[in-house]
Amino acid sequence: MENVSQDQAKNNQIRWRSAAEQKTYSSKLVEALRHVRRSSPPDNVSSRGRAVREKADKVLAIAAKGRMRWSRAILKKRLKLRLSNHKKAKDRSKLAAAGNSRRKNLKIEVPKKKRLRPLQRRVRVLGRLVPGCRKLSLPNLLEEVTDYIAALEMQVRAMATLTELLTGANAVAGNVAESSNRLEISRQLEHPPQS
Amino acid sequence: MDPIGGNEVRSMNGAKDVEFGVEAYQFGEELHSLMSGPPVTGNSFTALLDLPANQAMELLHSQAVDDSPSELRLKGHCVSHQSPYNHTLNWAPAFPSNTALIERSSKYSIFAAADATVDRVGGGGGGQGSPDSSSMPSNSRANVMKVKSEPADSGSNPNSLPHASGPTINEKQMNRKESGKKGKGSSKRGKTTANDNSEEVEKLPYVHVRARRGQATDSHSLAERARREKINVRLKLLQELVPGCNKISGMALVLDEIINHVQFLQRQVEFLSMRLAAVNSPMEFNVDSLFSAGNGSVTDSIFPSVMPLTWPEVQMNSDRQQWQFDYDKSANSALFHSSQRKMEL
Repeated sequence: MENVSQDQAKNNQIRWRSAAEQKTYSSKLVEALRHVRRSSPPDNVSSRGRAVREKADKVLAIAAKGRMRWSRAILKKRLKLRLSNHKKAKDRSKLAAAGNSRRKNLKIEVPKKKRLRPLQRRVRVLGRLVPGCRKLSLPNLLEEVTDYIAALEMQVRAMATLTELLTGANAVAGNVAESSNRLEISRQLEHPPQS
Repeated sequence: MDPIGGNEVRSMNGAKDVEFGVEAYQFGEELHSLMSGPPVTGNSFTALLDLPANQAMELLHSQAVDDSPSELRLKGHCVSHQSPYNHTLNWAPAFPSNTALIERSSKYSIFAAADATVDRVGGGGGGQGSPDSSSMPSNSRANVMKVKSEPADSGSNPNSLPHASGPTINEKQMNRKESGKKGKGSSKRGKTTANDNSEEVEKLPYVHVRARRGQATDSHSLAERARREKINVRLKLLQELVPGCNKISGMALVLDEIINHVQFLQRQVEFLSMRLAAVNSPMEFNVDSLFSAGNGSVTDSIFPSVMPLTWPEVQMNSDRQQWQFDYDKSANSALFHSSQRKMEL
């Protein structure tokens, strides 16, 4: 049983490293970026940056096909945010009176400091870093982290190549190869085919 | 059921002999080379191997034993499974020692035959599934029967022992480490024999863990050991993934490295998403064509091996405000140039 899960994990890792996966991710990301570009106001770069980050994560989670827990957690986060946005408008009036005060009291009364061993502390930190893995046991957490790291590396690779390609021909020529190709791309970008 | 079990064991032994004759040859050579090594006197021998005298004597009597790794392993299994024999083996004649070995060998043969493969890295058939667990109860009982009825089965010993040493050589290192614990384990040896036999017969979804020499054999420690092994396996995978983790020993530091790596990657994603957001050029182009045209070289050039060191530098130098400022002035290329310069370093 242990060997089977290990094989699965290795398959997953190989998947994240493949160029095909990166390609599909990049194309989906471009699609998502177009949405962001259209929807958000162009001047507020920071908010758009955050939106881009969220979209990138979301697309990553979709690329993971929901196999791992962190991907499901990322997708759930979007849903929850949307639902809570709808709910907030309704329930704000209710909460203000009773709920908030109760919550505040609870918070003040219970500032417990847990005496965690350093190892356990690190495990908790790691759990907080990976989305959706806060209260996970150590073996499962390690599995999630393995997949998450592989996925993140792919995300970084894809986004870097994308920015590289998009920020175009002004780049330092020595480092980046295929300058002719880039000129072509920049020409395409300057005069995009109106679709 | 027991006679049938005995027949099973016997047939399995035979099949195994045929199957693993080659291995026996290889390990026989190894054993012969090692047999010349250890000294004659019992005391120094045991001192060398850090073993109690009676068991050392028992093994000196047996036929193909004197290499330390297989000996430790044999002892391990001997201790956990055949404790009644330990008490009688002070300078015992060859007969009981042979039977002890026969039992051990037959135990190995069970795993081998049920498995029908050589590869049993997971500790004597760890996680092998139904054939193991179903055949185990009958065979463990059949062992006892067989031992009493076939004292002269010494022929199978040299074959089965070297074979058995093969797959468990992986455990050898772990055995050496854990032989230090024999002091603790010895106290629990006596009472848990019956327990052991039933403990090994674990249910299907559980990982099969073999109690090694000197280790506590109650269910709690077995479960804990299985859990620790799971964790260690996963940690090893992670260590391979995270660069620079292979040299670090100790779980806390490794976890630190992993945490740093995850944070680093997340920061990179953040950074890149900000840049992507600032990119003003329209994105109506075919991504596939871009990728087909020399993508590999682009990625290689972007990510030289020095990248992990330089990206954080870029991060620290340019905080969010600076980015906004830069982007507002459309100094995109400036930022890019600075990062490129750093990467070139």
